[in-house]
Amino acid sequence: MSVDLSNVRNIGISAHIDSGKTTLTERILFYTDRIHAIHDVRGKDGVGAKMDSMELERERGITIQSAATFCNWKGKDINIIDTPGHVDFTIEVERALRVLDGAVLVLCSVGGVQSQSITVNRQMTRYKVPRIAFINKCDRTGANPERVTAQLREKLGLNAHMMQLPIGLENDLVGVIDLVTMKALYFDGDNGEVVREEEIPAALQERAKEKREELLEAVSMFSDELMEVMLEEGDIDPALIHAAVRKGTLSLELTPVFVGSAYKNKAVQPMLDGVNAYLPCPTDVENMALDLNNEEKEFAVSNNPDDSLIMLAFKLEDGRYGQLTYVRTYQGKLSKGDTVFNSRTGKKVKIGRLCRMHSDEMEDIDFCGSGDIVALFGVDCASGDTFSSGDISCSMSSMHIPEPVISLAIVPVDNKAQINMSKALNRFTKEDPTFKTFVDHETNETIISGMGELHLEVYVERMKREYNAEVQVGAPQVAYREAITARAEFNYTHKKQTGGSGQFGRVAGYMEPLEEGEYEFVDAIVGGAIPREFISSCDKGFQKSLVKGALCGSVVTGVRCVINDGAFHAVDSSDVAFQLAAIGAFKEGYMKAKPVIMEPIMKVSVEGPTEFQGSIMGSINQRRGMIIGTMEEGNYTVVEADVPLSEMFGYSTVLRSLTQGKAEFTMEFSAFKHVPKTVNDELIKKYQSEKKNA
Amino acid sequence: MGKKDLVMNNPLRVLGLEKKVQENGAGMGLVMARAGLGKTAILVQIALDSMLWGDKVLHVSIGEGIDKTKAWYDDILALMTAEEKSESMQVTVTEIMQKRMIMTFKESNFSQVKLEERLDDLVQQNIYKPVCLIIDGYDFQEGTHAALQEFKEFMVRRGLKMIWFSAVTHRDDERKSAAGVPAPCHEVDDLFDMVMFIAPKDNAIDLKILKCTNCAVNAGTSLTLDPSTMLIQKA
Repeated sequence: MSVDLSNVRNIGISAHIDSGKTTLTERILFYTDRIHAIHDVRGKDGVGAKMDSMELERERGITIQSAATFCNWKGKDINIIDTPGHVDFTIEVERALRVLDGAVLVLCSVGGVQSQSITVNRQMTRYKVPRIAFINKCDRTGANPERVTAQLREKLGLNAHMMQLPIGLENDLVGVIDLVTMKALYFDGDNGEVVREEEIPAALQERAKEKREELLEAVSMFSDELMEVMLEEGDIDPALIHAAVRKGTLSLELTPVFVGSAYKNKAVQPMLDGVNAYLPCPTDVENMALDLNNEEKEFAVSNNPDDSLIMLAFKLEDGRYGQLTYVRTYQGKLSKGDTVFNSRTGKKVKIGRLCRMHSDEMEDIDFCGSGDIVALFGVDCASGDTFSSGDISCSMSSMHIPEPVISLAIVPVDNKAQINMSKALNRFTKEDPTFKTFVDHETNETIISGMGELHLEVYVERMKREYNAEVQVGAPQVAYREAITARAEFNYTHKKQTGGSGQFGRVAGYMEPLEEGEYEFVDAIVGGAIPREFISSCDKGFQKSLVKGALCGSVVTGVRCVINDGAFHAVDSSDVAFQLAAIGAFKEGYMKAKPVIMEPIMKVSVEGPTEFQGSIMGSINQRRGMIIGTMEEGNYTVVEADVPLSEMFGYSTVLRSLTQGKAEFTMEFSAFKHVPKTVNDELIKKYQSEKKNA
Repeated sequence: MGKKDLVMNNPLRVLGLEKKVQENGAGMGLVMARAGLGKTAILVQIALDSMLWGDKVLHVSIGEGIDKTKAWYDDILALMTAEEKSESMQVTVTEIMQKRMIMTFKESNFSQVKLEERLDDLVQQNIYKPVCLIIDGYDFQEGTHAALQEFKEFMVRRGLKMIWFSAVTHRDDERKSAAGVPAPCHEVDDLFDMVMFIAPKDNAIDLKILKCTNCAVNAGTSLTLDPSTMLIQKA
C-alpha cells in the first residue's frame, strides 16, 4: 500500500440512471487487475457486475447501494465509490461525495445532461468536488459527445473542454484522439486491454488541430508558462498542458471531458489516466472539521499521518459479520487493535478488525492512513459520526440529509412476519438516514417513509427477501387533526342509578382554544364543588375525549378545559363517574366551540428546467397548493409552495410525466391548517359513514 | 378588526395612492435609501396595501432568496394584525397571502425580457396574473433610461397598474435631479410617477415624498417610520 498521499485518489463515479457507471467501474476493475473477467450489469451469464452485489441490484440492473472498491492504476491507489443513479437513492450519492476528493461525472452520449446529472453536479458543487466528465456510450445510435460537452457548459455551467475526439461514432467507434499528445489511441484484445498508439487518421487531422487549439486556449488560462509558450508558438510539452488542466480542475474552474464506450471497451484507460493526472489527492483538498473544545471553530484537517487521528463514518451496513462501518481518515493513522473516541457519544471504541472493501468482498488490513477509505467491524455508531484518537475533540461538518418525501403504511401478514419486519426496519433505518419508520398511533399502522416510491419499494422487497418478512402495502393515511375555534361553556351531569351503588358527577366550566400546546387543564373550582380526589378524574376524562374528535375521528389539539363548578354525591360519586361526567361535558361543549378539521401542510420545493415552470406551477395549483414563489438558478427554476399532504400522493409520478423526468421535488412538514369547507364536509361524511358501517 | 379596518387604518391612505392606482394605474414608483434603511419594508407595505385592495402582486426579488422575502411579509403582516388574533383574522391573512407571489433572480440573471418571459408563462397558463409588480434589488447603476423605458412599456403591454422599484443611494454621491431625486436615479426620474426617499433623522426615520404625480399629497411631504418595526406611522 502506498504511503505517499500524492499517489492516492478517492473518487466517486456518479451520473444519471443508466449512464453506465457500473459498467465503467467493471472495466476499471478489469483493467486494474482487480477482477479477471468482465460481467455485464444485465448480462446473460447471470453473474452481474461486480459492484452490484445485491441480488435486487442485479435483477433490476440498477445500483441501489453505493459500493466501495480499491484498485491501483499506474502507481496510484484509487478508492472508488460507485453510486446509484436513481434520485430516490440520492443519500448514497451525498454520502459518497462528502468523503471523496474527486469524481467522474458519467454522461450518456445520446441522453446528454439529464435530470440526475444536474442533481449530481449540484451535489458535487455543494461539496466542492473537482470532477472530470466521461461521455459514455459513444457506440450508441445518436451519440454526439460534442453536443453533450456543449450541454455541460450550458446546462451545468461547467467550463467543459474535450480532452479527446472520438474516432468514428456509433457502430464505427474505433478509438479516440488524445488532444494533448495528438495521438490516436485504439483498444485491442478481447476486452480492449491493449492500448495501441498510432498517428491521427488523415481525415481527422484538421478537426483534431482545431479542437486542440480550443483546448489549449481554455487551459492556458491556468498557466502563464503555457500561455507564453503558445504566444511564442513553440513546441508545447504535454506535461505543461497536464499541469494546467490539473490546476483548472482542482480549482473547479475547468472540467476535462473524456469520451468512449465502457460497454465496447473503448477509451476507459485514458479516462483512468485522467483520474491520475487531474483529480486531486487527499492533500490537494481542504477538508474542514469543527473544534468541539473551541466553540466549534472550523479548522482544516492536516492530512498528516503523524497527527492525531480524525476519521468520519459515512456509511453503515449490516452484513454477515455484524455492522460494517465505512470510514474516511482525514489525518493520522489507525491500526488494528487501536482505541478511538466517538466525538458524538464520547465513548471509547476498540477497532478489532479493519478491512479494505471490494464491493461485497473484503481484504483484511493491519492499518490505514490519512486519506484512506476503509471499513471497520463491530463499531456501534451512527452515520456521520467522527472518530478521533482522543487527544482532540472535533467533528467533521455533517452531511446534508434530505427529508423523506413519501410514506406508505405496511402491515405484516402474520406474527412471524411482524417479528422479522421489526428486525428489518431496525437495520434499514440505521443504514439509511433517509429511510424512516414509525407507528402511527392514530391508525395503528407502521409507516415507512423515504425518498420516493422506488426507494420504499426496494425496502419492502428487501424485507421479503432478506428477512422473510411478507408485508401488505397500503395507502398512507393523512393524520388530520381537530381543533376548536371558539370558547364554549359546558355543564354536564352524569347520573346512573341502576341498582347497587350509582354513579353521580356534575362538571361545569368552559373550553377555549389554546394558542400554544396541545392541551391544558385548569382547575378553577372553589368551595369544594368537586372534591379534590375527583379533579384528576375530570382531567382524565377530558384527555380521553381528545383522542377522537367528533368531526372526523381525529385527535383534538389546542384545547384548554377549565372547570369552575360541579357537584358530587357522598356515596355515588367516584373516579369513573367524574371521568364520564367530563367526557359528557366535553361532548356538550365541543360542538358549540366551533370545531374545525386541520390538515398537514407541506412546504414543497419543486426543481426543474425553467421551460417547465408553468407546468410545475399548474400542477401545484391543481393540488390546492399556494405558490410562495419561484427562484431562478441558471436554467433551473425552483418553485416553492405550501401544499396539503393529502394532495401530494402520487405527485412524483405526475411530475415526472409533466417534465419528462427532469424535475424533482422535496417536501417537509410546515404547519397544520384548516381544511377548506368542501374537504371538511367530505371528511365528516366519510367518518360518519365509517361509524355507521362499524 | 377585519380586512376593511386593515385597509382603512393603513397610514399609506394619506397618500391617496389607491385612488391613483385604481383610477389611473400604469405608473412606476421608486423607494430610495442607503443600504439597510428599510427599502424592502416599505415595498412590502405598499405590496400588502395593494393585496388588501384585492390586487395580485408579484414581488420580484433580485439577489435575495424566497425565504427572506417571505419573512418580510410574514413579519410586517404580523405587526399589522398584532392586535387581533381571531380565527377570522387568520382566514383574512391566508386570503391576503394568496394574492402574492415571489419570484427571485440572481443579479446576473435578471433582465426585463426574462421577467416578461416568466410572467407570460404564468399569465398564459392562467396561473397568476399580477396587477402590481415589486422589483426589489434592481441595479440602477446599470439600468439606463432606455432599459427603464422598456419596463414602462412592458407595464402597459401586460396591463399592470403599478411597478415599484427600490434603489440604493450612496452617501458620497451627491448628484441630484431638479426634483431632488438622488443618484443613481437622478437621470431617470422623469419615468417615475412617485419617488420616496428614506432618510434617518435623530431617533426616527423619515419617509420623504420627493415626487407624487396625481397624489393626495404634495412633493416634500414626509411620513414617519417606526425605527423598531419600520412600519409607516399614522400622521
